[in-house]
Amino acid sequence: MEALLSWVDDYTLRTVALGSAMLGLVSGVLGTFALLRRQSLLGDALSHAALPGIALAFLFTRSKSILVLVMGAAVAAWLGALLIDSVVRNTRVKTDAAMAVVLSVFFGVGLVLLTYIQRLPDAGKSGLDTFLFGQAAALLERDLYLMAALGGGALLVVALLWKEFKLLAFDPGFASSLGLPIRGLERVLTTALVIAIVIGLQAVGVVLMSALVVAPAAAARQWTNRLSAMVVISGGFGAVSGASGALISSSVPRLPTGPMIVIVASGIVILSLLFAPRRGLVIGALRKRAGRKRLRSEVVLVDLYLLSLQHEVRHPHTTESIAGMRYQSGDVVASLDTLTARGLVARSGAGWVLTETGERLAKELLMLEQDASEAQLAVALAGRAPR
Amino acid sequence: MGDALAIGVEDLTVAYDETAVLWDVDLEVPKGSLMAIVGPNGAGKTTLIRSVLGLTKPAAGRITIDGRPASEAKRLIGYVPQRGTVDWDFPTTVLDVVIMGRYGALGWLKRPGRKERDLALEALDQVGMQEFASRHISELSGGQQQRVFLGRALVQDASVYLMDEPFQGVDAATEKAIIELLRGFKAQGKTVVCVHHDLQTVEEYFDRVLLLNVRRIASGPVSEVFNQDNLRLTYGGRLAFSRREPARSLD
Repeated sequence: MEALLSWVDDYTLRTVALGSAMLGLVSGVLGTFALLRRQSLLGDALSHAALPGIALAFLFTRSKSILVLVMGAAVAAWLGALLIDSVVRNTRVKTDAAMAVVLSVFFGVGLVLLTYIQRLPDAGKSGLDTFLFGQAAALLERDLYLMAALGGGALLVVALLWKEFKLLAFDPGFASSLGLPIRGLERVLTTALVIAIVIGLQAVGVVLMSALVVAPAAAARQWTNRLSAMVVISGGFGAVSGASGALISSSVPRLPTGPMIVIVASGIVILSLLFAPRRGLVIGALRKRAGRKRLRSEVVLVDLYLLSLQHEVRHPHTTESIAGMRYQSGDVVASLDTLTARGLVARSGAGWVLTETGERLAKELLMLEQDASEAQLAVALAGRAPR
Repeated sequence: MGDALAIGVEDLTVAYDETAVLWDVDLEVPKGSLMAIVGPNGAGKTTLIRSVLGLTKPAAGRITIDGRPASEAKRLIGYVPQRGTVDWDFPTTVLDVVIMGRYGALGWLKRPGRKERDLALEALDQVGMQEFASRHISELSGGQQQRVFLGRALVQDASVYLMDEPFQGVDAATEKAIIELLRGFKAQGKTVVCVHHDLQTVEEYFDRVLLLNVRRIASGPVSEVFNQDNLRLTYGGRLAFSRREPARSLD
């Protein structure tokens, strides 16, 4: 606890945590729309495409000001998005291939430029290469203002165009039939995504930034069925991943921030996939098991009913004679216990008998009239008697 | 005569690559029609609807809605896309989807409010889905999905409805509910055009029909143009279409 407080007291760490939380929040919100529009890979393509922009911005200005580098990154990423769009529209190349091509070409050019910069005599060797894997410790207070301004702008756009973006994500064809300018809206949404990505590049790096776009949204989808809640949860997951990843990496020397943030975000995804109510794998498996167990026990219930028809209904039957009714996949004793717990059968001496509720359910399962006479039962059950 | 047309299509040609999907198609849909578009796969039925909606750019041709250029008349058109075109696991509720039908009339920056909610609930009632209002859309069956889409079209309060296979994959009860709804539209003087696949029900459900196979084969009142010769022209000689009695025992 004290360590936690001293972190928050530490001015640098507070800046780092706040900045990383902010970029996580913005990318979590915009990532939701990318995910729902099945464009999760777009984040990956755009963040890689930003690299040559950073390098060129430095080469032209010889400045390492974040404002300049972020602008360069944004322009390159935006051009990448435009290129993907026009390749898909004008050729037979599909979206995923177009993204992969733009990603690798831009990233390759970026690496070449970065290597060239490293060889320049006056470059001041350190600095730009942190954009590869991110160094949140390098965040300064004035960087936060820039991030807040840009990220806040992106969030404001989402708030103002909420219903349009929602419809664009759900049913673009219908949106267009209403007269909404689909292509314009797509451009605005892509621009907001580009902003979310470029403000994170310094802290997270171009290589892993896409994880912060996809992971929080994928995790958030597990917890809710409403878009508004999903956006809020995703933003929250992004902020938590960003802040805790940055803090962990800052407390260990030479541990890059990006990978740490991604590890935290991935942890959230795994927990969400496993344990979310309704959609979680664990609850799903439990439900499936419980359902099977119930069905298996109801088969046994029906068998007991069929057996009992050969005597008077309350005649007890042993476990062995019930088990002999048919091939049972599963433990008859366990099924009988389940039925007892549900009050459908009861022990009677060395055997088992149906309770009244049990008899009613058995008839229901066999689709028999509750007040059927014995003659009617004989007809209905002909051929279904035990072997 | 021109002002009595709900939809007018002249010389419409659409091509995706070099080959024409629609070739020089003319179509007149008088107001208050209940029209089916029939034709084999790849005949351009969906493309025709999408062109009227402005979703597909034609290579040539002129389209008017209520006498006005289609691009200026979007508010007059209601659209029911094929169910399969959207992700039914999208995080939203039934009520929300129906409210989306009001987005066009709402305009920029405005959020749907009580009025939109009430309209949507009323529409859900009309399609028999009111009790599903707060359900997540992934819980719906195919027929229920179709009803939700129709509810969304209802709140649009359009005068011309374009529907892409509204009867596809729905059960008999939903089919009956849909046709009742369409007849209700017609009774209000609205116009409905449906892409339709079941030739058996054309005569029972619709009063006009367009037989389409890239070109317009025939178009007009069902009693005049829906005959063996035109069907053979539309579907080619392979189709052995036997004129059976349409199933009228849906109740």
